[in-house]
Amino acid sequence: MNGLPIDVDLAWESLPALFDGLKVTAILTALPLLLGLALAFPICFARMSDRRWLAFLAEAFVTFFRGAPLLILLYLVYYGLGQIEALREGPFWVLFGSPFGCAIVALSLNHAAYMVEVLRGSLLAVPHGIVEASEALGISRRNVFIWVKMPLAIRYGLKAYQNEVVSFIKGTAIVSVVTITDLTAVANSIFEQTYDPFTPILCAAAFYWAFVNVVRIVFDLWGRWLNRHNAEDAAAAAVVPGRGRSLRSASDLKQVTP
Amino acid sequence: MTNLSLADLAGYMRQLGEGALITLELFLASFALAFVFGVLIGIVTLSRSRVVQALWRVYASIFMGVPSLLVIFLTFYGGSAMLGALLGEFGARIDISPFGAGVTAFTVVYAAYIAELVRGAIENLPKGQFEGARALAIPPAIMWGKVILPQVMRLALPGLVNVWSFMLKETPLVSLAGLQDLVAAAKIAAGATKEPFIFFVATALVFIAFSAVSFRLASRLETRLDRGQRRQATDRAPSGATA
Repeated sequence: MNGLPIDVDLAWESLPALFDGLKVTAILTALPLLLGLALAFPICFARMSDRRWLAFLAEAFVTFFRGAPLLILLYLVYYGLGQIEALREGPFWVLFGSPFGCAIVALSLNHAAYMVEVLRGSLLAVPHGIVEASEALGISRRNVFIWVKMPLAIRYGLKAYQNEVVSFIKGTAIVSVVTITDLTAVANSIFEQTYDPFTPILCAAAFYWAFVNVVRIVFDLWGRWLNRHNAEDAAAAAVVPGRGRSLRSASDLKQVTP
Repeated sequence: MTNLSLADLAGYMRQLGEGALITLELFLASFALAFVFGVLIGIVTLSRSRVVQALWRVYASIFMGVPSLLVIFLTFYGGSAMLGALLGEFGARIDISPFGAGVTAFTVVYAAYIAELVRGAIENLPKGQFEGARALAIPPAIMWGKVILPQVMRLALPGLVNVWSFMLKETPLVSLAGLQDLVAAAKIAAGATKEPFIFFVATALVFIAFSAVSFRLASRLETRLDRGQRRQATDRAPSGATA
């Protein structure tokens, strides 16, 4: 065995297949990120609503879809929902009947639940005085939200959002269990053909690593652009919960999230 | 409505229970090892040496940027070959079980996260703690064990709880390497009874309940670790009120 257990020829040959896998992984990242974010806003408003039953429902949603492992959510959507007769007959069967649709649904629900907490934390981090001042100026609640609260919340929550997106990308690796040929599935099938345990998996790992780091760089640039008018560490002061629960409300150590 | 008899249900419940035990063992073993290695790595990488820093950067970047599932597959499929390269003939004959592969993979991945937390916490400690220990001629082992690490744990606890709950949600991945854990048992039961909905929801609830219980315990642990700070906090409160 030479120093690195990588078969360079095999790696070169499998590059096109791995790129195809990466494309699927990218689509399975982008769509649930959009859908999950769109879903997170109304649920977050419900969670922060004064109506008890609405807040309770939203909290139950968050607890379930955040607390359940993604693999089980995927199994639940893929195998479990087919059991429901009404769904099988209904118009949404196009979505739930395909592995791809199921993966999108499961990933979006999971991401939405995490984003509710990220959003809530960011919105709560906006200083109350600013909101009150805007209301005193007679700005409508909607405009206060769009032009005052959200721009600040994005700055406060950007780091938590980045952590969530990065762990989400890594989480998509499991969609191969429902027969989607994403990056992990491609690596696995090359392994099954060649019985080379290192080359395909290490290549796929390199692809994931590159993908995650490109996303990280984009977030860094975005954060720098958002804070271009500010002193350097202004936004870093605020902390927002990332993946998983957190105990203390103010500790920068929470930024280390898987 | 359901086509499950009570006897069947009892049988599946026993299988699920056995699976849950395996999941729990896997999780606790991985977390314990990751914790030990994470703390050690966190302390070692405080060294200013360029080599140590570079090695740490590479290690952390790789294992924080790659899905755990791939690391599990790598240790499971490539484990024997890796052991063979390390230990020679003897190592190549060792078969890697899914359990061993899972524990190894989670240890390697999560030690990086825990080391990052520990490093951050140590950097947040006042320098006086180190200087005081040195001035009192406390030997390094006792300084770390009795002075520094208790404070580090207090600071790192919220992050550790994060890692704990995140790792818990990743343990089912080892079932994809063939471990007969809770999720694998649930999948078998779901396939055999044609009642996937019930079994998967039940499995999800087991995970949610476990993390709820551990969150309770973590809050208790937090108050315990904070006990040295409490007096300070109550001292500060009235003075803040009068100011």
